[in-house]
Amino acid sequence: MVDALGSRLSHYMDLLSTRQKLVASNIANAETPGYRTKDIDFQFEFMSQVAGIQPDVHGVEGLKVKNDGNDVSMDREARLLAENAMRFNLAATLLKSQVKMIRSAIQESK
Amino acid sequence: MSLFSSLSVSGSGMSAQRQRAELLVENMANAETTRTPEGGPYRRKDAVFSTSEQTSPFSSIFQKEAGMGVEVTDVITDQRDPDRRYLPGHPDADKDGYVAFPRMNPAEDMVDLMGASRAYQGNIAAMSAVKDMITRSIDLMR
Repeated sequence: MVDALGSRLSHYMDLLSTRQKLVASNIANAETPGYRTKDIDFQFEFMSQVAGIQPDVHGVEGLKVKNDGNDVSMDREARLLAENAMRFNLAATLLKSQVKMIRSAIQESK
Repeated sequence: MSLFSSLSVSGSGMSAQRQRAELLVENMANAETTRTPEGGPYRRKDAVFSTSEQTSPFSSIFQKEAGMGVEVTDVITDQRDPDRRYLPGHPDADKDGYVAFPRMNPAEDMVDLMGASRAYQGNIAAMSAVKDMITRSIDLMR
């Protein structure tokens, strides 16, 4: 992107889409025996500036393990699903206004 | 494209749950079946789920994707002894008058079917959330 804010926003959206994929895969595997919930450390990954590197995926502590060794919590996944979608919408709206600003800067100079 | 492969992850979940629901419906339909091609009464079937690597149609082998899909790797048949009921007039009765019926618990199958249907709904919710995110990203270009 053209400026720093834009690239931060696109990094944020990248991370959100990675996290959303993990949420989708947790929901798909909600009844797979032995499957453990996967997530990324969002704060850490956002602060580490290195772009283009796949975020580190790890398990989640403190979830109740069911008898079949599966620890997917549907409540947690539903919350994250909605939260990620809303955060992504916000970031997309902000990025769109950035693009609009640059565009108007180009057009108004004519 | 991370977001598009999320769609195939949710799709794999939907297809696995649909296969499971098909097996459960088959079980309930055959709750009283006493003749099968293999001989003997019908035996209850159930799906075994396991995680599977999901790739979108255009992803290259260099892209290591984080998410995992699900697939039905095996269909197991119930090996318990059939339920023997005393029905001397039945065409499949043995010499003592007992007929072997499938060992089936309708409550068990109904509960599993509800679970499969809820899990299917969960996958659809995930898919529509991801679809919304993709639409938002496309809107950036307008």
